[in-house]
Amino acid sequence: MNVRSQVSMVFHLDKCIGCHTCSLACKNVWTDRRGAEYMWWNNVETKPGTGYPSRWEDQDRFAGGWEKKNGRIELKSTGKGKIIFNIFHNLHMPSMDDYYEPWTYDFQHLFNAPEGPDQPTARPISMVTGDHIDIESGPNWDDDLGGSPVYAKNDPNLEGLSELERSQLAEIERLVFFYFPRICNHCLNPGCVAACPSGALYKRGEDGIVLVDQKRCRAWRACIAACPYKKVFYNWASGKSEKCILCFPRLETGQAPACFHSCVGRIRYLGVLLYDASKIDEVANLPREQLVDAQREMILDPHDPDVIAAARANGIHDSVIESALKSPVYKFVKQWKLALPPHIEFRTLPMLFYVPPMSPVMAARNGDGDTVNHVSRDFFHDIDDARVPLQFLANLLSAGQTGKVRYALRKQRAVRIYRRAKTVGDVGEEEAAEMLKQADTTAEEAEAIYKLTSLCTFDDRFVIPPMHREEAIEMLDDPHERRTAAGFGFVDQPKRGA
Amino acid sequence: MRRTGWTALPVALLIAGASFAQDPVAYFRQNCVSCHTIGGGRLTGPDLKNVTQRRERAWLVRFITNPKAVINSGDPTALKLKDEARGVVMPIPPGINRELANALLDMIEKESALEESQFKGMTIPTAPFTAQDIERGRALFLGREPLANGGPSCVGCHTTVGLGGLAGGKLGPDLTRVFERLQGRQGLAAWMQAPATPTMRSVFRNQPLQQDEILPLVAYFEDRAKAPAVTPAGPASFNFFLIGLLGSVVVLVLFDIIWKRRLRSVRRRQVMDAAKEVLHGD
Repeated sequence: MNVRSQVSMVFHLDKCIGCHTCSLACKNVWTDRRGAEYMWWNNVETKPGTGYPSRWEDQDRFAGGWEKKNGRIELKSTGKGKIIFNIFHNLHMPSMDDYYEPWTYDFQHLFNAPEGPDQPTARPISMVTGDHIDIESGPNWDDDLGGSPVYAKNDPNLEGLSELERSQLAEIERLVFFYFPRICNHCLNPGCVAACPSGALYKRGEDGIVLVDQKRCRAWRACIAACPYKKVFYNWASGKSEKCILCFPRLETGQAPACFHSCVGRIRYLGVLLYDASKIDEVANLPREQLVDAQREMILDPHDPDVIAAARANGIHDSVIESALKSPVYKFVKQWKLALPPHIEFRTLPMLFYVPPMSPVMAARNGDGDTVNHVSRDFFHDIDDARVPLQFLANLLSAGQTGKVRYALRKQRAVRIYRRAKTVGDVGEEEAAEMLKQADTTAEEAEAIYKLTSLCTFDDRFVIPPMHREEAIEMLDDPHERRTAAGFGFVDQPKRGA
Repeated sequence: MRRTGWTALPVALLIAGASFAQDPVAYFRQNCVSCHTIGGGRLTGPDLKNVTQRRERAWLVRFITNPKAVINSGDPTALKLKDEARGVVMPIPPGINRELANALLDMIEKESALEESQFKGMTIPTAPFTAQDIERGRALFLGREPLANGGPSCVGCHTTVGLGGLAGGKLGPDLTRVFERLQGRQGLAAWMQAPATPTMRSVFRNQPLQQDEILPLVAYFEDRAKAPAVTPAGPASFNFFLIGLLGSVVVLVLFDIIWKRRLRSVRRRQVMDAAKEVLHGD
């Protein structure tokens, strides 16, 4: 057992209102610079939709992530053999059009326009070329367009859905969509790190954050093709790759990352997971349908004395283990099995998990006009019949296995009914208890899920471990030597004439 | 004054050293025999036997050190010489100066006095060349038969009519009419013995053509000169352009096939497809 700690995340999709506050918080802090205008380290997509960059989930085109070949996983986009023939041209780079051409508006014109018969307008200007452009797309161009024939229709997650299901998704009466906020997943088996020929990408030992070393990056851009989530971006001004850094400077000072902090719907949770790093290789190589369970298996119980001992032996600080005990992510992912990894079939083992969203309630009423919508003893009748087809959610969140999504949705629904029985009282306690049982949960667990979902405070949602930079830095730099040689006041040692 | 004296001395020594280091006989062999003989008759340039008696030495020195300037100055003698040479202007001999010119003239004077000068020039048979000679010349020209001393084949830089396809090189002049330009067999052969232009000189100085290579080449050029007058530059360069264009297309198609799984436009194609469906009333 090789215990490591990972700062992990849960996004509760049922609570996301698609306001993009997270995206803007991130943009304002990190990517409001020349060369980074088009980057959205955090973005919110409408599903069904093709997202940003368009159709990023389609790895037949983008060649991100890993694939199994001859019993072993290999990067789809590059490798020691493949790179020789493609050394002058990276074959799988999304074009600017697939992201979007960033623009601003010619606001000055509103003030400086000469007098004329028409009102002056602020025409859009490309932030790359500075020329006037016709805007054709944006990072959330298909926002709220659940039935769009261009974007929604091309969602790769529609694969395996029947014609009927597809046509129903687009029907105006049944039109449905939900939001899918995305940041870097800080994977356990990151494709970007594996692909980098310069060794510029690395996963931080102490918290598992994946970073690009800006000094070592040589603009090969192999990471951009290799990341199946398209969350590494190339800065065309600096000639280096950049990505979500999980706001590590904020984490190190005990603050939640900007997108987490600003989330209006409070959908985001952050906490430490302890996992067994010796299993990464084995798990990433498993057959597709075993991946979700196997990844859960890798996550270790921080209450287990053996795990605690192994963690200590690996140099994980007691305060981090303590933090892991309180981790909301552990509860959602491992205990309640409500949160699922996005597209784990890409085999990067993402450490950002999503609680699948409930569809809008179906308009089924009892004859007397009562609003109670479970009409038979089959309490969960509308889950398989939901407006968002189960297969669609399964394609997105559990490598196509509807069982995992069904389980999470049934449990969420049972908790709702349970709370309804308690607070509204139009559902019998007995019925609620039966529902909890069928949903593989108990009243205590339902209460805990309810609390962490609906009544969660800032400190419930973000259990940020002490980062112990003073210890982490010792791995790279001896503080005593550093103090006597360079002094603590400098990042780089000052030199005469340099 | 003192200062000038100090600097003038080494400079004078340097100039003197440089000029006296040149042996006029060796210099003449390397630079002059392609156009001139001493007592061997006219080549491109006039026979230099007794030239010092025909003209003033001062004029000769002036002409040798910069022939073009003298011709351009409108000097009647120089203009007449240019006419006789069919418009070929003598290039400035490399590294020439007054001392060297005088030394050369002294040497020419001495050689003229001899019964038979070593610079009498080579004798070329006047009988018509055989088809075999012409064929061998063509092989040498095209480089099918390498030059014995390792010099580069003509086709690398030159072309003539009748080469077809991509023809020859465009770096040097077209040699179709070179036989006429250099005034026949004698002149052409002498030229090839020790080419005088800067490029040819530096290329062939250390790997000269051999006697038995020069003759077939002369035969080949004589044969080319008889060919009907066409302007080979037109079709040849157009061919070159066409072949280049075709080659680029083939290579691009090949690249397209090899890397056919590359990522192409995703979003725009999506929009186009949707627009097509709307247009066809899907």
